[in-house]
Amino acid sequence: MSVSNLLENWSQVRHEHPVNDKPHDPYKWAMAIDLDACTGCNACSVACYAENNIPVVGKERFQHGQQMHWLRVERYWEEDSREFPDQGFQFLPMMCQQCEAAPCETVCPVAATNHTADGLNSQIYNRCIGSRYCSANCPFKVRYFNWYDYPTDEMVWPAEMTQQMNPDVSVRSKGVMEKCTFCVQRLSAAKVVAKGEGRIVREGEVQTACQQSCPTGAISFGNLVNPESRVHKQWAAQQVVLDADKQAKDEKEEGPGLRGYRILEELRAYPSVMYLERVRESAV
Amino acid sequence: MKDIREDIAWAKINVDVMKSLENPRKLYWVILFFALMAFGFGVGCEIYQYQTGMGVENVNNPQVWGLYIATFIFWIGMSHSGTLLSAILHLMHADWRKPIYRFAEAMTTFSLMTAGLFVMVHIGRLWQFYYSLPYPNDRGIWPNFQSPLLWDAMAIFTYLSSSVLFLFVGMIPDLAIARDTMAAGWRKKLYTLLALGWEGTDRQWRNFRVTYLTIACFLIPLAVSVHSIVASDFAMSQQPGWHVTSFPPYFVAGALYSGCAAIITLFIILRYVFRFEAYMTKPILKKIVRLTFAIAMVWTYLNAVEFASVWYSHDEVSKDVLIQKMTGTYAPFWWGMIFCGSVVPLVFAFKRFQTNIPVLFAVSLLLNLGMWLERWMIVAPTFSHGYYPWTWDHEQWPSLVAWGLVFASFGWFTLLFMIFCKVFPSVSMYEVKEMVYHRTLHLKKSETAEQGAH
Amino acid sequence: MIDSGSVKQLAGHPFDRRDFLKVLGWSGAAVALSGCGNTSIEDGKETVVSYVEANDYMVPGIGVYYNSTCAQCDAGCSINGRVREGRVLKLEGNPDSAINKGKLCGLGQAGVQHHYNPDRVREPLLRNGNKGETISWDKAYALIAEKLSGVKGEEIAFLSGGVSGHLKALLGNYLDSLGTKNHFVYEAVAPGVVRAANVKAYGVEMPRYRFDKAQVVLSFGADFLGSWVSPVHFSQQYAQFRKGVNGQRGVLVQVESKMTLTGANADRWLAVKPGTEGVLALGIINALGIATGEVAELVKGYDRARVSSETGVAPGQIDKIAALLKLRSPSLVLAGSAAEGYAHGSQNAAAIHLLNQVLGNVGKTVEAPVSVPFPQMAPAKGNTAALKTLNDGLAAGKYKVLFNFAANPVFTAPGAFKFKDNLAKAGFKVAFAHYLDETALQADLVLPLDSAMEDWGTQVPEYMTEGAQINIQQPLMERLHANTRGMGDIVLTLIKQRRADEYKAFEDYYAYLRGAMLQNKGALGGGGVDDDTFWNETLTQGIVKLAGSTGTLTAHAAAAGLTLPAPAASDEQYPLHLIPGVTASLRDGRHTNQPWLQESPDPLTTIVWDSWVEVHPKKATELGIVEGDIVEVTSKTGSVKAQVYLFPGIHPEAISIPVGRGHDAMGRYAKGYGVNPFQIMDAVFDAATGELAMHETRVNIKKTGQRVLVVKDEGSAGALQMGRKIAARVSTDQVDLSKEV
Repeated sequence: MSVSNLLENWSQVRHEHPVNDKPHDPYKWAMAIDLDACTGCNACSVACYAENNIPVVGKERFQHGQQMHWLRVERYWEEDSREFPDQGFQFLPMMCQQCEAAPCETVCPVAATNHTADGLNSQIYNRCIGSRYCSANCPFKVRYFNWYDYPTDEMVWPAEMTQQMNPDVSVRSKGVMEKCTFCVQRLSAAKVVAKGEGRIVREGEVQTACQQSCPTGAISFGNLVNPESRVHKQWAAQQVVLDADKQAKDEKEEGPGLRGYRILEELRAYPSVMYLERVRESAV
Repeated sequence: MKDIREDIAWAKINVDVMKSLENPRKLYWVILFFALMAFGFGVGCEIYQYQTGMGVENVNNPQVWGLYIATFIFWIGMSHSGTLLSAILHLMHADWRKPIYRFAEAMTTFSLMTAGLFVMVHIGRLWQFYYSLPYPNDRGIWPNFQSPLLWDAMAIFTYLSSSVLFLFVGMIPDLAIARDTMAAGWRKKLYTLLALGWEGTDRQWRNFRVTYLTIACFLIPLAVSVHSIVASDFAMSQQPGWHVTSFPPYFVAGALYSGCAAIITLFIILRYVFRFEAYMTKPILKKIVRLTFAIAMVWTYLNAVEFASVWYSHDEVSKDVLIQKMTGTYAPFWWGMIFCGSVVPLVFAFKRFQTNIPVLFAVSLLLNLGMWLERWMIVAPTFSHGYYPWTWDHEQWPSLVAWGLVFASFGWFTLLFMIFCKVFPSVSMYEVKEMVYHRTLHLKKSETAEQGAH
Repeated sequence: MIDSGSVKQLAGHPFDRRDFLKVLGWSGAAVALSGCGNTSIEDGKETVVSYVEANDYMVPGIGVYYNSTCAQCDAGCSINGRVREGRVLKLEGNPDSAINKGKLCGLGQAGVQHHYNPDRVREPLLRNGNKGETISWDKAYALIAEKLSGVKGEEIAFLSGGVSGHLKALLGNYLDSLGTKNHFVYEAVAPGVVRAANVKAYGVEMPRYRFDKAQVVLSFGADFLGSWVSPVHFSQQYAQFRKGVNGQRGVLVQVESKMTLTGANADRWLAVKPGTEGVLALGIINALGIATGEVAELVKGYDRARVSSETGVAPGQIDKIAALLKLRSPSLVLAGSAAEGYAHGSQNAAAIHLLNQVLGNVGKTVEAPVSVPFPQMAPAKGNTAALKTLNDGLAAGKYKVLFNFAANPVFTAPGAFKFKDNLAKAGFKVAFAHYLDETALQADLVLPLDSAMEDWGTQVPEYMTEGAQINIQQPLMERLHANTRGMGDIVLTLIKQRRADEYKAFEDYYAYLRGAMLQNKGALGGGGVDDDTFWNETLTQGIVKLAGSTGTLTAHAAAAGLTLPAPAASDEQYPLHLIPGVTASLRDGRHTNQPWLQESPDPLTTIVWDSWVEVHPKKATELGIVEGDIVEVTSKTGSVKAQVYLFPGIHPEAISIPVGRGHDAMGRYAKGYGVNPFQIMDAVFDAATGELAMHETRVNIKKTGQRVLVVKDEGSAGALQMGRKIAARVSTDQVDLSKEV
């Protein structure tokens, strides 16, 4: 409770990840999303609603842009003055990128958004006062604010529907910011089990809700520092480095056959989500 | 024309100013009534917003900040001219400031108090506001000292307390006069308490001067830092349109600009309402107008600097935001800002308008409208046209509640200001006396010189 | 939040679940609150909540998982329901199912909202004027018996959606006991024409499609990733198809007039003039130049100039596709909306199947399905042709008693049927209902059903994969509402009214089901184990895998009898085709009252909570329409008004309105949102099968002068990335997929 406590802990409160003297150990949660496999079906988004007690805001509030989907599936089409989108659309599941140097973390006046030791960008609902600065500074705009008191709203959660709520996930009241947590409740549960058995969480032992539902397996999730994990292998195969703002792929003019990239990488937020470019057949 | 007539008797000064505490014109009560109404409406809006949630402001997920933040910056800006007049001009020995610095300083204090309200109104969980304060607690939890918003809270708090102190200290000799002239009643008790036993002894005057000067010196860097920090809220972020190096001076210039414009407005109102024509004279007004014109040009220049640096920076995203401001949904407001902020002040360049009260009144309101638009144009377009096109939005029109709170802030400010002027001497009696005395000395000197020549 | 009511009910239930339900125990130990990272794990704390009467499978704070079957559509995905403190919380896919392999679509996951829906019917309701009066089940059953007495078999009709498994068998017996053959099976958006065409070309209604083996998929409007047949399974195969073998990525070409989700994922999406898909198929055969005999004779006239002018597909594109199909084999050619959409749909399908035949895909990527050893349990299928028969009968006043189960024809029948008016002519209408939907509102007696999470059942999917399987549906939790009943229980009670002796041994449907399964234990793979073990195993698995036999495809697509009509003449008054869009999450609209589905943006337009009219931007410019304009869409049958969305993925000669919304009953999340395009659909049928030709309704559109803000997820930048690298794309020659993980 003293200032000395503040000074002692200061370096702990804000240490930029990853740093050489404090590597991620034993966990660094990360994702890889294959846009060539993603079909834009929205199963992940619904799974996220189901798992994380996300309120359905209704038409009027959606119109005002107050929707709460932690995971949104974006749809793009590049025009080039074509008559038809004859190479199809491009879908992109976008959720909190769990940046290693997250722009949201530094600006929160009350330190409600923090970096955890396993590389998550966590949001402490109890601490949040709702200044919304984090969202203002988020390049991806993936933070969602509780504009209304959804838990008490009869249209959003009638008494019957509240029985579906996941008891492992806090229900957020009005005035707090929320966002994708990488299903931290599942991670925590898995870590407890692993800790009890004196080991780390194995590859495949824990899945995020979106990953679990994805019919094409486009989303892979896991421990980036575990060389056994699929995510680690994917990042390595694509030569994407967590704390870099330029990757092997960007170095050459001609693509070296890699398709891993991170969105708005030049901002040096070091996102923990790698996307794999959508592939289009050149023969047709 | 002279800034003030040299032949006003000191006793008359006392009587004239003390009269303002008792019988203002009817317009005073009209203004007070409307201010009260506006404030009352705002209280209703806030109660509704508190109960229902921030959604009633009609802001949304990518566009999380709206009118409240814009108006917050506006009021912070307003506070700067008071310090300019009372502290900077004090140090520069510009004695024409003397009849008007008191109300300007009051304006500083009350606009800061209004700005503070917007912090409260803006945050989602008002009931947890104290989390942002670095209070000692046994959980060892501190606010985040990296956040410009925390700097903001601290800077505003420091600035507000210093301003109150400065206003109060500067008022002590006048409070003593009020104490001595007032008949028995609550006012007399109040003035007795606040005058801190002022007797006007030599030692008291000497201490008073030193104290006043010290606070003035302290206040100037504070004023500059406050608005620089508000600018940092934006400049320290990563967002296009905000991440601009020139923001702090730009904000300070804008602040002085809107503050001066507001002084013109209030000058005209006070002069009429409290019958201060003999003290708040047109020559003084002319000086303020010229000062305002100069600041307006500085502001215009800094605007141009910002646009040019964005334009030549090859930062495509920021450029997009700028183009969007000029051509997109917000274009009418943006061009309104340019018109009100850079074109309208050209009126001040014409001598015949420099003392034309109706024109000045209208122009001063337009300038402040322009400055309010400037703040809105800083906040809103970056949200609606930022890094991530998927979340670009076109429809962010503030709700009735948001507008209600903005208007209420004007009501609240006016209410505080008008009550202050009725309760405390809004023209500094002792400094006007000094001013008259200095002028008389000056006059005598020149008369003597003239006589000597004969 | 813990519902003590359901806990109590569990304790006092007639059958004790702990006897036969195994706890799978997948979940972890006590878990932390979300949002606090790993900083607040209350490791090792003692359990605070204690139950006086705790069931041994119910540990506070521990989620247990039960296997069951998704009932949101007929694909038969196996689900894995997470249950905690006696409440089902979330549905996940069962990894053991060959169909969905642990995956589940959004529609399936919303099943919990079907279950917990606040607008469910909770009591049996008897019509009293315009109101429903609560009555007891005994009275309801007595009333049905009374109404049925003295009524001849042919005067009774039973309308249902697709049913399968033991319920189908029991229902069949009940109808038999009533002496009626009038079982009308009606699914509004099922692939009826494709089934018939498949029988002709392959000898089976649904062959097994091997997307995973195909190198090229050429789909004529089959939305296999969205809403066609078994989308979760196909999506998994699609993922394999895209990965390919040795980095040889599969190529998807989609041909349709309105882009579907599958079309949006295609490497090449071709907008054809509505109805000319068959022409294109023959044109490709022609361009391939490998056909002989009568096929060559048939396609001779379909040179690329003619095909291009009729279909609107560029000649070079036809060549490219032909070249690709020749180069990469095997491929897979599918017929979807090309068949379902048009009066010559069967002919279109025949042409498309012929292309498959010519390419030699049959037997390679189109395989014979496994046959289920119990044909009596195979799903009953039917489309609008069945409804038309019923409708004609109703119009003639033939039926004195009508039952309705799992269908909502008042909502989904084409407007030209005037189904609601005809329904009024039926004497006594009984609806087995989950919601008071449009059809239930017309009924005289409404009987409330259990949700799929409360009921017992078996389900046999139409589309099998690696082996045959019977899916088990079992309660994941107790009844939410005391007075709802399972459909099986209701039918069992009703059949006892007629054949009490035969069924008296079965106290309830659960007993019937268990008895039926045990009786056939040997054939179900339970030979040699005792009854309880077998039954426990069955329920634990949620799936009974059967050794079905795989035959060979018998029929052969042939050129004989294949004639495609000349391109339809343009209609001055109704110049546009109305293409009803079938979306992955709303399908025919039976689940619209589930808010997750309403708020889940349409993948293509990102619109939520409302209907829209897709208009091609070119056409919109021509008509002076912009996004958000409310237009009146008028057909010969009627008109609806809806907002316009400018959508490039539609042929300019067509417009599209999604089906599923526009309810004027059903519940708070469905009623009043959007419009129902079924209402304005003309009665045009596929000549060969008599099924509704879904795309044949011709319409015109007129501006009404009103404009609204379209409620959608995309921002004002629309589908553009504004030069930022957000969703990136690369062409196949730039990457080496073989090196990927």
